[in-house]
Amino acid sequence: MTTSVLPDETVLASGVLAGAEWITIRREDLREAMQTLQAQGFASYLFMTCVDHLATPVVERPPERYELVYQLRNMSAHRELRVRVFVPEGDPTAPSLHDIYTPANWDERETWDLFGIAFEGHPDLTRILLPDDWEGHPLRRDFPVGGEPVDFSEDHETWQTAPPEA
Amino acid sequence: MADTKLDQTQQGITITRTKRAGLEGDLMTVNFGPQHPSTHGVLRLVVDLDGETIRRVKPVIGYLHTGIEKQMEALRWQQGVVVTDRHDYLSPPINNLAYALAVEQLMGVEAPPRAQGLRVLMSELTRISSHLIWLGTSGIELGAMGIFMYCLREREKIMDLNEEISGFRMHTSYIRPGGVMADATPRFLELLDEFIREMPGHIDQYEDLLTRNPIFQERTQGVGILSAEDAIRLGATGPMIRGSGVAWDLRRDRPYCGYDTYDWEVAVESAGDCYARYLVRIKELRESVKILRQALDRLPTGPVNVDDRKMLPPPREELETSMEAIIHHFKLFTEGYSPPPGDVYVAVESGRGENGCYIVSDGTHKPRRVKFRSASFVNLQALEHMSLGHILADFIAIIGTADTVLGDCDR
Repeated sequence: MTTSVLPDETVLASGVLAGAEWITIRREDLREAMQTLQAQGFASYLFMTCVDHLATPVVERPPERYELVYQLRNMSAHRELRVRVFVPEGDPTAPSLHDIYTPANWDERETWDLFGIAFEGHPDLTRILLPDDWEGHPLRRDFPVGGEPVDFSEDHETWQTAPPEA
Repeated sequence: MADTKLDQTQQGITITRTKRAGLEGDLMTVNFGPQHPSTHGVLRLVVDLDGETIRRVKPVIGYLHTGIEKQMEALRWQQGVVVTDRHDYLSPPINNLAYALAVEQLMGVEAPPRAQGLRVLMSELTRISSHLIWLGTSGIELGAMGIFMYCLREREKIMDLNEEISGFRMHTSYIRPGGVMADATPRFLELLDEFIREMPGHIDQYEDLLTRNPIFQERTQGVGILSAEDAIRLGATGPMIRGSGVAWDLRRDRPYCGYDTYDWEVAVESAGDCYARYLVRIKELRESVKILRQALDRLPTGPVNVDDRKMLPPPREELETSMEAIIHHFKLFTEGYSPPPGDVYVAVESGRGENGCYIVSDGTHKPRRVKFRSASFVNLQALEHMSLGHILADFIAIIGTADTVLGDCDR
């Protein structure tokens, strides 16, 4: 029932989930597809985020580990569209959309900060929420929730064994 | 000609002067915040000034980042509500509502009519309370000291109402997936009725202090103009976009909780300046009172939670007689419930704009991903556009009417 807004060869999959339309496109087609969508009236960009599908128990497994989700809105037609792009684990990059949709600028910095997806062509791809010297990308599923090192732990293994020279 | 830099240290404050190629005069880089009293929290702005005129603004955020989205991945679906209270700390019930509606959509349930009515009541009370804080603090920043006291007086009554209905003044966690925490007490309804009768008079008082105040008008009219096209391009929502003449309100345009059945108007002003955004918020206060009156008069009777034992615990008295109720209770509080795999985006209108919640379920009892689309995060990106070419003193008015909550922005 999704009335197609993009050429059929661009759309890999589409559907309606809980009343919301979505399409999946290829990473290489992203910029061109977004420009087409913007020209067709999807002028409002709501948000972009990433989903990490590492070790997902879902039966129909997503094709790649990372999924970028763009939510667009056509205010005059009261229509929303979710655009999905899959990004492989080995090459976590995607084209930047900051010159097509202005608010994408900070969303891309946030996704770089928290997921480590690099956006090619972004003018200032730096951390936005975390300190500049932070190590790792905490919203990845393999980043532990309680990942703080403990400064004064009792390391029993070394503590209970006498030093070799004694 | 290359840029030349000259650092000056005076009384412990370092000022960097940059001679920028192609610009007349010196550019001075000033660090504004994060502890500046008029930045509404811990917002840091790096501002390039040419004399007193703003040439560049770079917001630096993240000082209130608390990893809420990561925390929610470690909590069960019903536990997550408590965390949603805490990102936009001036409107907890509206955050709850976005999350609750998203989970309900994923589960395919709908809250009963009385719960919908109570949700509308709490949302509008929250909107009033959030606008009151905005009005009071923005007034102080522009030199109107008195208004803060009046606004906080009414906000205190809303806090009392929160306490009466949920037991908490700030982080109510009142609206939950499947319904609300508990039914409204008779005293809540009495206090609310009194509040609705008094409030229009109080709004008149605020208007007496500011709307025709020549100093306030001088500071806000023609300052920080945002055109309708720019507002849409920059992704602004809420009073920011309505102050620029775009009549877009999620309560009317993507209705939830039966907002389309109430008789109210979307507040719109066309000027796009700080004064227009002020007028929009004042009008929204009046419209919220109108909605409150109708919602209170029409509040349906009946249950306040869905009748689904897989999602909400059984009533206390059933636990004493029914084995099945005990099993449900045990399952719910050890494992929780698991929505089917899928993703949902639900947006509600908060005092600041579009407060959205995007959730992804992988079919387990904890979310795979929860993303809050916060209005402050997006609206803040329009700040530079609004303030270029204005003097530093006007900048305060512009930050004020953008109404960002940094907890919401940094999450």
